[in-house]
Amino acid sequence: MGGQACVFYGAAEFSRDTDFAILAETENLARLQNALDELQAIRIAVPPFEQDFLRRGHAVHFRCAHPEAAGLRVDVMSVMRGVDDFPLLWERRTTVESEGESYDLLSLPDLVRAKKTQRDKDWPMIRRLIEAHYFEFSEQASATHVEFWLRELRTPLLLTEIVALHPIRAQALRSERRVLDALLGHADDHMLENALREEEQQEREADRIYWQPLKSELEGLRRQTPRRDVNAR
Amino acid sequence: MRSEPSRRIQPEDVCEAEWAEWYRLTPAQRWQESQKLWATYLALGGSLDSEPDTQSPFFDAREWRAGLAHGRSGLRVLRRGGV
Repeated sequence: MGGQACVFYGAAEFSRDTDFAILAETENLARLQNALDELQAIRIAVPPFEQDFLRRGHAVHFRCAHPEAAGLRVDVMSVMRGVDDFPLLWERRTTVESEGESYDLLSLPDLVRAKKTQRDKDWPMIRRLIEAHYFEFSEQASATHVEFWLRELRTPLLLTEIVALHPIRAQALRSERRVLDALLGHADDHMLENALREEEQQEREADRIYWQPLKSELEGLRRQTPRRDVNAR
Repeated sequence: MRSEPSRRIQPEDVCEAEWAEWYRLTPAQRWQESQKLWATYLALGGSLDSEPDTQSPFFDAREWRAGLAHGRSGLRVLRRGGV
């Protein structure tokens, strides 16, 4: 769900870790554990690799020791803020094939939602992802594409264009996005930039608030867990 | 509301030429280019061990210190010109 998905959809991220969104069910976790064993992966941080932690929104972190993947970080998550439950993500996934292997990626709208975090690096990424999608489909845009762009575009020039091309649809979504309200209300460029910045700040703050109890729990686990016990399953 | 645009916006209108070129690739082409970049990076001795992400809510300074002792050495800058 991370770097390679971003590359596929049009942004570029030279990410050296591998992020997996998984269904946190007993049988599935057992299968994943087998794959991690093949990679000689060792858990490198709290929390433990347990269903309960995954279902409450924690990520579990591994580092591989297999010679062909030495040092590779693998992060596993099951629940992400603002993102639908796994069965819906799976239904909407993109599957790609490369050199005889197939890979399942989060759909672009789900990836964009997952990237709305408190980290600086995710926001330019979101902008790039949606720009690439816009230029790929703008000549044959479906109603679904237009709605996605109206909801998610973060590039002032493109937002201005899509609102001008689809004023009725933009009007229908006006109450759901302040940026659209600004555009439809004749906002100048400065006001539009401000509305976008404010939207980003709200998401980042929501992410910080979401993570507060989880971070406290992680701190507690770190205090309880000697280092030697972290590097285990 | 602003008036309907007379000319559609092009990638070059919103980003640098290199990005515009990247946008014009198909997803499969971007995937391939990324694989080539990976191959080059690994051939140059680049490490798979990722950089610490200090803004991540998962970030644990203890874990990253421990991690540095593992894996291959990362890419080192031997010479850097200009600024």
